[in-house]
Amino acid sequence: MKQRTKKSSVFVGGLTVMLCIALSPLSISAGTLLARRRQDARGGAVAARYARAVRAFEERAEAYAKERERLEETLPKLSKESTPEQIHAHKTAFRELVRKSRAGARQGQIFDRVIAAHIRATIRSEFKGRERAKLRETVMEADTKGVPLRVNYPYPETKELLEIPPTLLLKLPQLPKQLRYRFVERNMLLVDRENGLIVDYMRNALP
Amino acid sequence: MRRNLVASFVSVVVLVFNGFLIEVSGQSLPAAAAQASPQANGSPLKLTLPLKNGSVRFVVIGDTGTGSKQQQELADVMLRYREVFPFEFVLLMGDNMYGGETPADFKKKFEIVYQKLLDDKVKFYATLGNHDESNQRFYDLFNMNGEEYYRFKKGNVAFYSLNSNYMDKRQLNWLEEQLSKDDTQWKICFFHHPPYSSGKKHGSDTKLREVVEPVFLKYGVSAVFGGHEHFYERLKPQKGIHYFISGAGGKLRSGDVNKQSPLTEKAFDADMSFMLLEVADDRLHFQVISRTGETVDSGVIVNQRKKSMSAAK
Repeated sequence: MKQRTKKSSVFVGGLTVMLCIALSPLSISAGTLLARRRQDARGGAVAARYARAVRAFEERAEAYAKERERLEETLPKLSKESTPEQIHAHKTAFRELVRKSRAGARQGQIFDRVIAAHIRATIRSEFKGRERAKLRETVMEADTKGVPLRVNYPYPETKELLEIPPTLLLKLPQLPKQLRYRFVERNMLLVDRENGLIVDYMRNALP
Repeated sequence: MRRNLVASFVSVVVLVFNGFLIEVSGQSLPAAAAQASPQANGSPLKLTLPLKNGSVRFVVIGDTGTGSKQQQELADVMLRYREVFPFEFVLLMGDNMYGGETPADFKKKFEIVYQKLLDDKVKFYATLGNHDESNQRFYDLFNMNGEEYYRFKKGNVAFYSLNSNYMDKRQLNWLEEQLSKDDTQWKICFFHHPPYSSGKKHGSDTKLREVVEPVFLKYGVSAVFGGHEHFYERLKPQKGIHYFISGAGGKLRSGDVNKQSPLTEKAFDADMSFMLLEVADDRLHFQVISRTGETVDSGVIVNQRKKSMSAAK
């Protein structure tokens, strides 16, 4: 009797082990699938949120471009055969018009928090390891010390306009042709290419 | 051995595919027609360029905009060389204005320095560097036609001036569109940041190379000129394209070329320099001149595009 009980318990135990072995990949994969689905759903939501943020950012940049175009049209047009005096006069007058028009502009009105997070993530994924170190070195060594981190202030014309790596530019939200991304130390600025005004900036863009 | 043979075969295929064959020498060419030698500061000027009838003659010089005594001295050498090599125009490789762009800066760093060339109706075609504002595109004497990137043609050469400071989707699309319909024999691109460089300070701009080189290869760009590095360098041909750096027109970064670089064919970082170039039919001749008027490099590139295309037919 005792021997019979022992035999059946061995049988049940063995069966349990076998079932566990057979089912464990299923249970693991089911768990992984669920986790992945949750992650995908979260990822999808994040992607959708970023997509909305990018669209909204591009719209805000477009709105700025439209307004500064309207203002520029009130000035005598610069020809492609201008003298340095004409270029300088146009830039100065244009800058003053836009400054007045955006007198109440504040940091973060174009670079809001969501788009800033997206841009940081884009830079992090584009530059890793040695490339990231090289980018940081280039940016930190550039002659941009003294560029004011202030909206509606001019980017000093004596300062370097650091190249934005093209592979990054292709991944960042596209700006209207009148606006440029610029690195100043670890920060990223939006600068008007003609009047030189700092339209907005975000801190710690570089990882 | 077999691997070497395969590699050689691939290289030849790449070159033939790109339509080029290279015949570059580091010395004066025996074919040089003109050996003019007027005295310049006591030293004779030696020309290795052939001065063929109807050829396209120009200068490449970069990183000029300092207004320094040295920039002026180099400009004076350019002027003297024009007596023996009447070049028609100059390509500026960017950093045309260091440290400010007031009307006085334009005078001091450009107009006064090159006054005699400007008086002689020599045209300057500029590209933008990292010290240049976009508004330079409106400056009459830079002939940029109001654009940050533009194309112009001289004889059998199409020149593309690109803005490497800001190579965005818009510009890349424009470049691809222009090149795709361009059947000019020679397609030459020039912009500030060099995709290949042996400079210790900057080095190759690999991110720029990643986006522009496939376009150059696809549409048969023959030669690329850049600046940014304050020295002269002729790179070993890369995938059949000839890359040059001429960025010592106003500043010099002496000793900056990495002597161990596998990229260099010839480099000069001991003094400031500029390039004289002549395109005659399928040949591009070049001669590099230092501030003392000496030739520091010269050679010829042969473009076999026309032959390859007719052979393919």
